[in-house]
Amino acid sequence: MLLYNRYFFLVFFIFAFPVFSEAQTCSVVFTGRVTDESTGVALPFATVYLENKKTGAVTDSAGFFRIETLCPGNYWVKVSHIGCEPKRIQLFLDKDKQVVFSLNHFSEFLNEVVVHGKNGDNTTQISSTIANNEIQKKSNENLANILESIQGVSSLRNGIGISKPVIHGLYGNRVTILNNGIAQSGQQWGNDHAPEIDPYIADYLSVIKGTSALQYSGSSLGGVVLADTRNIDNGPMLKGNVNYIFQSNGRGNTLNTQLERGGKWVFWRVTGTLKLFGDAKAPGYFLANTGKKEANMAVQLEKKLAQKLNTELYYSLFETEIGILRGSHISNLTDLEEAMSRDVPFFTKPNFSYQIEPPSQKVTHHLLKMKAKYQPREKTFFDFTYGGQINNRREYDVRRSGRSDIPALSLKQASHFLQASLYQNISANATFKAGVSGNYTDNTNVPETGILPLIPDYQSAQAAGYAIYQNKAGKLFYEFGGRYGFDKINVWAISQTLPRKVEKHQHTFNDISFSAGSRYPFSDLISMNANIGYTSRSPEINELYSFGLHQGVSGIEEGDPNLSAEKSVKIVVNTDWKIPPKVNFQVLGYYQHIKDFIYLQSQQEFRLTLRGAFPVYIYHQADSRIYGADLLFSYEPYYRLRLTAKYAFVNGWNLDESIPLVNIPAPNLFGTLAFFPRDFMNLKNSEISLSGKYVFKQKNLHTEQDFLPPPEGYFLLSAEASAKKELSKSMLKFSVFLNNLLNVSYRDYLNRMRYFADEPGISINFGVNYSF
Amino acid sequence: MKTIRFLFILLAGALAFLSCEKGDPEIPNEGELITTVKYTLKPQPDGNSVVFLFRDLDGDGGNPPVITTGPLKPETIYSGTLELLNEAEMPVEDITEEVENEGNEHQFFFTSTNNISVKYDDSDLNGKPVGLKTILTTGIAGTGKIKIILRHLPDKNASGVANGVITNAGGETDIEIEFNVVVQ
Repeated sequence: MLLYNRYFFLVFFIFAFPVFSEAQTCSVVFTGRVTDESTGVALPFATVYLENKKTGAVTDSAGFFRIETLCPGNYWVKVSHIGCEPKRIQLFLDKDKQVVFSLNHFSEFLNEVVVHGKNGDNTTQISSTIANNEIQKKSNENLANILESIQGVSSLRNGIGISKPVIHGLYGNRVTILNNGIAQSGQQWGNDHAPEIDPYIADYLSVIKGTSALQYSGSSLGGVVLADTRNIDNGPMLKGNVNYIFQSNGRGNTLNTQLERGGKWVFWRVTGTLKLFGDAKAPGYFLANTGKKEANMAVQLEKKLAQKLNTELYYSLFETEIGILRGSHISNLTDLEEAMSRDVPFFTKPNFSYQIEPPSQKVTHHLLKMKAKYQPREKTFFDFTYGGQINNRREYDVRRSGRSDIPALSLKQASHFLQASLYQNISANATFKAGVSGNYTDNTNVPETGILPLIPDYQSAQAAGYAIYQNKAGKLFYEFGGRYGFDKINVWAISQTLPRKVEKHQHTFNDISFSAGSRYPFSDLISMNANIGYTSRSPEINELYSFGLHQGVSGIEEGDPNLSAEKSVKIVVNTDWKIPPKVNFQVLGYYQHIKDFIYLQSQQEFRLTLRGAFPVYIYHQADSRIYGADLLFSYEPYYRLRLTAKYAFVNGWNLDESIPLVNIPAPNLFGTLAFFPRDFMNLKNSEISLSGKYVFKQKNLHTEQDFLPPPEGYFLLSAEASAKKELSKSMLKFSVFLNNLLNVSYRDYLNRMRYFADEPGISINFGVNYSF
Repeated sequence: MKTIRFLFILLAGALAFLSCEKGDPEIPNEGELITTVKYTLKPQPDGNSVVFLFRDLDGDGGNPPVITTGPLKPETIYSGTLELLNEAEMPVEDITEEVENEGNEHQFFFTSTNNISVKYDDSDLNGKPVGLKTILTTGIAGTGKIKIILRHLPDKNASGVANGVITNAGGETDIEIEFNVVVQ
């Protein structure tokens, strides 16, 4: 915990020396225009305000403004317009300057509801993005929980503190999470292993639902999550943000800080997060041992080494300790049945506590990224990227004779990634991208556990190459490309029979992907994008070699070294309709056929052990298919009022066995009514909203596929109020969230905790954000 | 161009660093593993002891466990002693002691059929039963089953637990085994 503080202050003192500009002849003229970002239409009566000078101008009917007699120097310029997110930019005005500002008129709509990726104009990617504002308001949440606001994205949970994203029904090994462009390595195979990413450090969170994610390493069979940071503000003045959220349920505290500064020598940014949560509370009882501690930090440096060479250095540290519901720790089927039969879990305590005891997880993740962008010609540039990661995961169980302090699972993983890419503008409308990459992973079980490891030690090396061509012909934008990867895995397994010995295995796989996509605007009101892709995914270590008792499935899990790669074809079609003046409609449909889909098949046999008989699950392959739709509708009956509705459903089916796929999200419906009051007492951009979420019961599941039938559907009501107060050189934002307003007792199909306890009840969250 | 050359040297260096070979993993010392449960029944006042043995040397995977029992005499009182061993280790590790020392965190539960009754004959620091020592009484001749469950961290104060009723005990199951018994 202290680590972050130490680094934070160190970096603060090194870089935070203020630079003052000197006054000279004050005759600089600053002119320009303010336009709407999406339509390009001029914005009359927009305010352009120079904060340090406390002066400004209002744009005329054509959007132009003019400010005279300025002294040369650095200025904070704030551009604002009714109904727009104000923009705050640093400018160095040494001579007369003309600037065009574009404001996002629907920013609130965009922030809340999700937009196409920030590269939306030059790709056919079907993606959705959550912007910075929304992340700040929810920085107390996990990455996956924040992503859930995107229709078609759900979370697979284990209790309160652990969740991982599910995109169109797929998760884990099939979803790649790119942390700053580097595929997150670690133990992504585990259903109870959450991605080690602090959402606050990421400025944008995007989900690529389509198939055109070829330039990224990792498997994109089930979608890609991008956690990106924006470029550092190039102004020479210090910029900062402090964010604090208190959450009543769990008495959680989240503190985030970010400082950044441009400058001649180097551009830098330092970000840090501290989280402390105690036991969450379900309606009626505390969920014992569901607290969490987290300390994260990131340092980002950018420097232009030469005219044509930009470099970037990024380091992040993620450190967490998560408690797992004490009553969910069971060791055999009898325990599970007993635990399931109770209304209130075993080990429930009458009092709240911040204490974290076994069962728990401690995870540390380091990421170091170096990137160089070399642009020899205007139309050509090269990217060189190195990403190094160290992941250290320790899981603690309740054990005999003081062994609870010794992890029951202790894994160390080191990975290195190198990539070189070329971007070439062939003509005004055509672009060619290509690249080669190498990836190396070394995964080691630390023998301190005194338990045979669930997955063996392994080393894997991959080499891959991709090429993508994009072109715009008239109104039609299209792209196609391919990727080839070669994987080699060396495995050091410990034999299951006595005497124990080390068995070496080697596997090689070839992964091929193709993708093609297009985007076509039929008119200003209707546009459509579609893509189709073929992807193969080679089996991961847990699918090949896991062996042992797995708490998550309350059974013995066995890998199969003879598995072949999964081969998927996915088609995604998305349409955006605008019905003037105030209706927006987005419909996305998809169909995915996966040949040799890898899943855990329950076996007829029960294996007798000293702890009782356990069901046996073996990794198996079968042809499967998944289809579904994501719908989004918004309507603004009055400019201060907006209604949003989202609906998503997924259907997964194992074709060979004629049974449903497990862990497929139930259909869900989400609606928000938001009201934007007029400015009041210096409070701007106020918003009051009421949201309802209905999650249906998962009916597409056979009784024998689970220990308990899926829980009933549930309805949750939540409310939010937020406002901004602009101070002379800074801004204060306040927000209040009321989650599970009706304090409903419910259980969720995608949370393993559903066997044992209810989800958390009502929570009131207060957030305050100060930025300068 | 110097910077570019520098970058390539950096990349080449990194690749060279990656090509190192990995050593064999260390096989963990499974100190906590229980491979063997030995239930020794000594007839009262005297006679030859009968041993019920459940042995699974390679743990959860590998070969199935070996279970051996012997016949009991009808309407006889036996004093029963449980021993827990880790026979995968050399020398054999006696886990009984661990359970004894943490008696207040452990309790055995016995369920049986054919009128066989099992009563506790020991207690922890708080005067609650542990079950390492028991009194077993047989009824009429026939066949039946004895199930032995060891719970770690049960609620020893919950209703019925001190009398050997498992329903409200909670905790984690460390052992759950069953023996077929012939009373003749």
